[in-house]
Amino acid sequence: MAYTFNEHWITETLRLRESLWGPLEDSAEAGRARAQGGSFDARLLTRSRLLARRERLDDALERWRRIARLVLMLFALAAILAGGAVAAGALGSGGRPVNLAVAVTALLGLNTISFLLWAASFGMQAGAAGSLLTDAWLKLTRKLAKGPDAALLPRALLELTARQRASRWAAGVLSHWLWLLALLSAFATLLALLATRRYTFQWETTVLSPDTFVTMVKTLGWLPSILGFPQPSADTIRASDGLQDLPESAHALWSVWLLGVMVIYGLIPRFAALTLSAIMMRRRMSRLAINPSLPGIAELRDRLMPASVNTGTDAPAPSPDSAFIQRPAPGRQWGRRRLLGIELPDDLPWPPQTIPPGIDDLGVIDTREQRHRVLDAMREAPAERLLVCCDARQTPDRGAIALLAELASLTSDIRLALLPDNRSAGSGRSLQWREQLMRSGFTAEQLSASVPTALEWLSTEADPSSQPPTPTAFRGQGEPHAGQGEEPA
Amino acid sequence: MNAAPPSLRLAVVGHTNTGKTSLLRTLSRNPDFGEVQDYPGTTRHVEGVRLLTGGVSTIELFDTPGMEDGMALLDYLDQLAPRGARLDGPARIQRFLESPESLRRFEQEARVLRKLLECDAGLYVVDARDPVLAKHRDELAILASCGHPLLPVLNFTHSPDHRIGEWRSAMARLGLHAIVEFDTIAPPLDGEDQLYDKLALLLDAYAPTLRALKQDVAEQRRQRHLDALALVAEMLIDVASLRLSSPAEQKTLEQSAETLRRLARQREQRGIDALLKRYNFRRTDFPHHTLPLQGERWGMDLFHPQALKEMGIHLGKGMAAGAMAGATLDMFTAGLSLGAATLIGATAGGLWQGADKLGRRLLGRIRGFQEMTVDDAVLRLLALRGLALIAALERRGHAAQTPIDMQALIEDGAEAWRKGQLPETLREARSWPEWSTLTEHYEPSARRTQAVRKLAAELEGPAAAR
Repeated sequence: MAYTFNEHWITETLRLRESLWGPLEDSAEAGRARAQGGSFDARLLTRSRLLARRERLDDALERWRRIARLVLMLFALAAILAGGAVAAGALGSGGRPVNLAVAVTALLGLNTISFLLWAASFGMQAGAAGSLLTDAWLKLTRKLAKGPDAALLPRALLELTARQRASRWAAGVLSHWLWLLALLSAFATLLALLATRRYTFQWETTVLSPDTFVTMVKTLGWLPSILGFPQPSADTIRASDGLQDLPESAHALWSVWLLGVMVIYGLIPRFAALTLSAIMMRRRMSRLAINPSLPGIAELRDRLMPASVNTGTDAPAPSPDSAFIQRPAPGRQWGRRRLLGIELPDDLPWPPQTIPPGIDDLGVIDTREQRHRVLDAMREAPAERLLVCCDARQTPDRGAIALLAELASLTSDIRLALLPDNRSAGSGRSLQWREQLMRSGFTAEQLSASVPTALEWLSTEADPSSQPPTPTAFRGQGEPHAGQGEEPA
Repeated sequence: MNAAPPSLRLAVVGHTNTGKTSLLRTLSRNPDFGEVQDYPGTTRHVEGVRLLTGGVSTIELFDTPGMEDGMALLDYLDQLAPRGARLDGPARIQRFLESPESLRRFEQEARVLRKLLECDAGLYVVDARDPVLAKHRDELAILASCGHPLLPVLNFTHSPDHRIGEWRSAMARLGLHAIVEFDTIAPPLDGEDQLYDKLALLLDAYAPTLRALKQDVAEQRRQRHLDALALVAEMLIDVASLRLSSPAEQKTLEQSAETLRRLARQREQRGIDALLKRYNFRRTDFPHHTLPLQGERWGMDLFHPQALKEMGIHLGKGMAAGAMAGATLDMFTAGLSLGAATLIGATAGGLWQGADKLGRRLLGRIRGFQEMTVDDAVLRLLALRGLALIAALERRGHAAQTPIDMQALIEDGAEAWRKGQLPETLREARSWPEWSTLTEHYEPSARRTQAVRKLAAELEGPAAAR
């Protein structure tokens, strides 16, 4: 695991921040992360490191950590003071004999209850894992470290620990550590007081029998005795009812017994729990990894690990060009009326409808040879009127447009019908045909025919008064039309 | 000396307006590549894109202008180097590239051929709706004379008036037997696999490269799918655990219901945005519609009863309408069982914290507050829409420009979401108001993380859930 905890923390904070307040502008950072290469995790952490630096999030993190440490120190101080105070209170000033039962309860009671609760919590499913202490710690830190990011940092911390199922152990480390401090301080106070003052120990009761105390003391002292703490004898216990004088050695024995109970039931369990929590937390947190499916991270994948990069173009695009209709050479012999289909597929019947008499059906042309044949025929005997049918569903390409332009140059008047002949269907591409042909010099009138009207136009004799057909810009206005005088009678 | 597999260079060629740029957009998962339009000659230059596998370039693809005047070019080639002349294909092409017309009338074609000569192979893109014409054959003859393998890619195969059979037999006659069907608008889920498999057959020297790429594509697809499911699961948990409390008066309750709906709607929008981003689709991919996933297009408002009906969701008996639509008031008994569940969890986590929360809620109840959650039916709708969107995005090429039709995309596996009990994870989420990131009471917890993971697995299919 090459990434530090801080890096994960920052990443998580940014994730929360971006999912709460919208994405940050990150083109420069994402670009650098991409350039750096490596795995998705590496890029993600690079991006968050750069963003954190830009957003001064790392400073905020440092500050937050400092304050959190400070608060923790305050807590520790409080724990030490409390522990000392409890120990001093349990022993008293030495003026009165120390009540053993009360002293043990005061020293270990609360500690034992909270410890048992912690242990019991393992039996149940954890929901919101936290404890009073962690809560107070985070709340106080948040109060002290102001700013919007200061609220997100602890939340990110909680998210991280919760995701690693380490919350319980992290909270455990904190609370066990504080309890251990308090107990140690209590223990030290106890030692100091016992070393410097004279205390007498006794038990007191109103309703219980002395044997109860014997059992109790024996039971409590059994575990310490195994570890070498001396155990008062039954006689000594019975004698310590405060009514009989005891030798100094008996009081010394009681004080060691009390210390033993303190060590065995207070210090050792806490220390063990702290060690366990610390080990578990460390182990769980060491498996800290980026979960790539989290919202806020999943969306970044394509940004940081693009599936492709653009490598640019070879050269600037040329300006669009189109074939233009050439002016027909003068002196031609116009004569025929012709019908032609270009690149029509099988599903369009040919001819599109019965052709009136007197019209030359050139058929459908597709191959180069057919094109050449038709063009040769047209050059030999130019048409007076030519109707060309095209498939409106196909894309008009430069080749087709060039062919049409060439045909137009060999005809006195050309019209175009787009098949299939329904205006609504395929109107998108009919539009493309029209646009492209207009750019090549065709007029709107030449392009707007439907098959029946076009055939009708084809079958009628050209009316001399209306000739030539609407001149186009390419033919030039007012120029005498070559074919005008040579119409067939 | 363990050099990386050699990088492969492919030219994407074809007649004009057959979807070459679309193919590149879909293969590169980059909706911003080039320019796509249903118009001939949209691409007028060669543009390259590198496909990366784990950050390493594996294939470089080149988008080329369409061939538009193959016949005339073939005439010109014959004129330059008559067939009888002892020149092989590439040499003839070379001669053409040195000719003056390669800079004028056939500039576009010259760019295509120059690129194809440089590349290892060509993908010949075909609009399967077009009839097979002589010009296509001529064009193929020119392209084939470059001496590199060509793999025909049939585009627009989902169109009802396609001519796939015609194209296949025509290609076979030209000796092109390996053909891929790849609709760039709605590519098949394994479309890229097929494409790379067929390419590997043609280019066995690059088979390892292609295999690595194919594997990477599959991995990425799987990762995307898992991520998407997790995003939907997060959204569902957020909405399911959303719980608002308000005084039990008609007016304030209605206000709360409005807030509830607003939060849920916003959450759905956020979820949709995240999914779009994950699949690298952007709102701007849909130029003619503000966002086809919003308002009337993406079904209807989440809380409209009609939207539920159209998705085939059974309306519960007590589905409220009007001002309270989509909100369920928490009955007292439900509140109690909820309290118990929370109490157990609270004891486990930290007694005081949980007790504090429970106390707050009990206090609210004593003061006559009512809690409301989002209706089950709405959760179902949310889940179904999320799944439908995932399905749509997975089947959508990056060249698609039409809005998503959601109705058609509900899979059979989603049946479980229409009726029956909601998954356990969602029912559990109901009892954890602090799981919802939509309110300030949100608290991170390991259990929520687990629930999201489990729900994501359940979303994957009923088989995985049981």
